[in-house]
Amino acid sequence: MINNEQEKKSVMDAILKGERDLVNTLLDDYAASRSYRTAMNEVLEPVLEEIGSRWTEENLSLAQGYIAGKVAEDLLMKIHNAEKDTAAKQAAKVPVVIGNIEDDYHSLGRKLVSVFLQSAGWQVYDLGNDVTAEEFVDKAVEKGARVIGVSAMMYTTAENIRKVRDELDRQNLSGKIKLAVGGAVFKLRPELAAEVGGDGTAANGFQASQLFEKLWEESLREVPL
Amino acid sequence: MTSMERVVAALQGTNSDKRAFTMTLSLYGAKLTGCPLTEYYTVPERYAEGQAAVADQCRPDIIFTPFALALEAQAFGSEIVFLTKDPPNVKKPFIRNPNEIGKIRVPDIEQQEGLLYLRTTARLLVEHFRGTVPVCGVLTSPMDLPAIIMGVDGWLEMLLFDREKTGTMISLMSEYFVSMANSMFDSGINFLAMPMMFTNPRLLFEKTIVEIVIPALAEMFGKLKGPIVFHHGGNPLAGYLQHYLSLPNIGGFVLDSHDDFSEARKTVGQNMLLLGNLDGPSLGKISPADAVEKARKILDNRKEDNHFIFATSSADVAWYTPMETITGIYNLIQHCGA
Repeated sequence: MINNEQEKKSVMDAILKGERDLVNTLLDDYAASRSYRTAMNEVLEPVLEEIGSRWTEENLSLAQGYIAGKVAEDLLMKIHNAEKDTAAKQAAKVPVVIGNIEDDYHSLGRKLVSVFLQSAGWQVYDLGNDVTAEEFVDKAVEKGARVIGVSAMMYTTAENIRKVRDELDRQNLSGKIKLAVGGAVFKLRPELAAEVGGDGTAANGFQASQLFEKLWEESLREVPL
Repeated sequence: MTSMERVVAALQGTNSDKRAFTMTLSLYGAKLTGCPLTEYYTVPERYAEGQAAVADQCRPDIIFTPFALALEAQAFGSEIVFLTKDPPNVKKPFIRNPNEIGKIRVPDIEQQEGLLYLRTTARLLVEHFRGTVPVCGVLTSPMDLPAIIMGVDGWLEMLLFDREKTGTMISLMSEYFVSMANSMFDSGINFLAMPMMFTNPRLLFEKTIVEIVIPALAEMFGKLKGPIVFHHGGNPLAGYLQHYLSLPNIGGFVLDSHDDFSEARKTVGQNMLLLGNLDGPSLGKISPADAVEKARKILDNRKEDNHFIFATSSADVAWYTPMETITGIYNLIQHCGA
């Protein structure tokens, strides 16, 4: 069993205080005798889980959540650089596709989801803002993704998510490719997820990985490899 | 007593014939007059007709100018969308990246269409109510406006990591906000209400609030020609009020529906006006009887508090809220002296 409670506590405290540089130093120190990936797996990931719980309990500010996303992004960049051309980077990662639906430009949540999914080991294809249903589905088919994550902030843009469901149906991919939906409007109206054709939603970005895992497993059950 | 006298009594803490009350019925006026929202939020006369209908049928003691914050973002270049049963919203922020801050220009409040609409509406409401019902102007907080000009992520990134650009952004917001707010006071509004989000520890670090936000707001608020009602902006406020007491021109605080008035009183003292805390947007999701019961509990809780105005918290009362709910609350208020 790894005894790194002090390191996790220090990282958590620094995130809560908004000390991004200090978090990076702490993780650099931890990685020095191990690796950045180890620092992610053994320190930051458990801290992010705790951050997610605090978010769910409304015991975390937006800025604290944002800093958590930034430090995760910083560490992912270091992992990327350290593992360039190595077998570790080539190791099979599970691809997923995410983006903001057509006409939606509210990207904060989607960016955090992207970082937290990558931290949890997913290969994320982030298509950005204002993504059409065809673009989502075509990219998922191209990359072999079994989950598409679509974000919308407003009710009017959330309604466009139906087009992704329609496109999946049109290409006979529903069941094989699952549709995760998220964004502020789904927090206010959870029933909307099903109304727009979503297969599931999460209360916040920190829980996205759990949702994607669940949907991925459902996909494999319904349409095995 | 007129509504104006009732609201002044609440400000002064003196007795009135009944409890002053208001609901955020900015949007609801369009429902009462059957006005399409594309007209309601672009033609000042249509909005004023809607609020006249609100006054006739719902009889609140405070009338609001349009709760349409997106119009200010539009004035800075953001793309907005008009909805059929909600106020306009920002579809696409003007810039995405803090490095594009040089593109932002302070709009001309005498020329820009949306701002002219807001200013003209304020003037029409003041003319219509002629001092019998207070008119409350509604504007976006100058610390929140950047979030709808450049996106929440862009503004957070700037606030947390780039003091220089944050300073530039605050200067731009200050130039706009002070002139826009004072033009509304010149039109005769009695006070200005602002939902305050990037001012609250639920969004920002306390050190950001103390070091950046409060000094900036203090400078801007100090230049205003009238009082401000500090609105919770969708976040709990009671536990954080100590941060805002030193701000100039604060006339009162609107609390969140989850806030505890007693906790707020401990911080602000007995003489500060408090408003709220019946959640407005969710009123349509409960039965009229349940809404009245919620209102009754709040009124019972504050029955000894003369510096209290019963009001809805959060955003507009939703379109689908039954009129029966609003009249039920009004009828309840008739029996509540203050």
